[in-house]
Amino acid sequence: MTRLTCEEAFARLDDFLDRELDAAEMRLVQEHLDACAACAGEFRFEATVLGDLRAKLTRIDVPRTLLAKISARIAAVERAERDGH
Amino acid sequence: MSVDAVAPVGAAGGAPAAVMDAAAFEAALTPLLGAAYATAYHLTRSAADAEDAVQEAALNALRALRTFTPGTNFRAWFFRILVNVVYSRFRRTKREGTRVELEEAPELHLYMQSAAAGLHAGTDDPASALMDRIDREAVHAAIAALPDEYRVVATLYFVQDLPYQEIAEMLGVPVGTVRSRLHRGRRLLQRALWRIAEERGIAGPPATGTGEAP
Repeated sequence: MTRLTCEEAFARLDDFLDRELDAAEMRLVQEHLDACAACAGEFRFEATVLGDLRAKLTRIDVPRTLLAKISARIAAVERAERDGH
Repeated sequence: MSVDAVAPVGAAGGAPAAVMDAAAFEAALTPLLGAAYATAYHLTRSAADAEDAVQEAALNALRALRTFTPGTNFRAWFFRILVNVVYSRFRRTKREGTRVELEEAPELHLYMQSAAAGLHAGTDDPASALMDRIDREAVHAAIAALPDEYRVVATLYFVQDLPYQEIAEMLGVPVGTVRSRLHRGRRLLQRALWRIAEERGIAGPPATGTGEAP
């Protein structure tokens, strides 16, 4: 099996972190990272940044009344449909 | 010939395929509301518009329930409606705040910049050392700085942690388009983030150690 160069591994960074490579390619990248501390450090940095961004983008306070408003509107549509039939 | 041959598709061995009713719709929608609101918030860049967009998407979805096949991907179906609502009703032509130039999307921007700023010294986790200085509002401002086509892909990716294929289905675009926009969008986001961090003085060069208050 051929080993990846740093450049080849780096070209797969995004797909590797997103688990979008097939199993054989995932293994090839992982083997490179196991052997190359510099690339491993860069991949770890990117993975940590992605995880942090995801947490900060997801943590948004949903207005407390949103569900109640939606429920009320669903009920209103249902009522209108019933009355109209 | 068996009578089963006339049964509706998907009905074999279970309840007959049917249109989802309003109660089942609400039950399926409720756990998605947090992600729906966060998605709408990043796409509209407005809390009020986000709330309106989610409500409108819910009503549109309810009215279009006949187009949803129970047992298929409700989340993908609903978010496709939500994205359509945002783009048809809440698209803003006027942009505010930091913008990011498309032509410049260097690799490993945060890694390089934070190393140059001395943030890698004395830590074995430089990414956390950096991101601990960058608050939620700065991250929100950075994603808001992305052009629409990158922001929508990045938002669906970050908020929902979905495979590229599912994002492609939500947006009705080829998976290759999702991949290229997401990869480039991530680099643009890093660039916007570093600029905002610099503007706010939270990730600039380390203090020179004179001990004097600014």
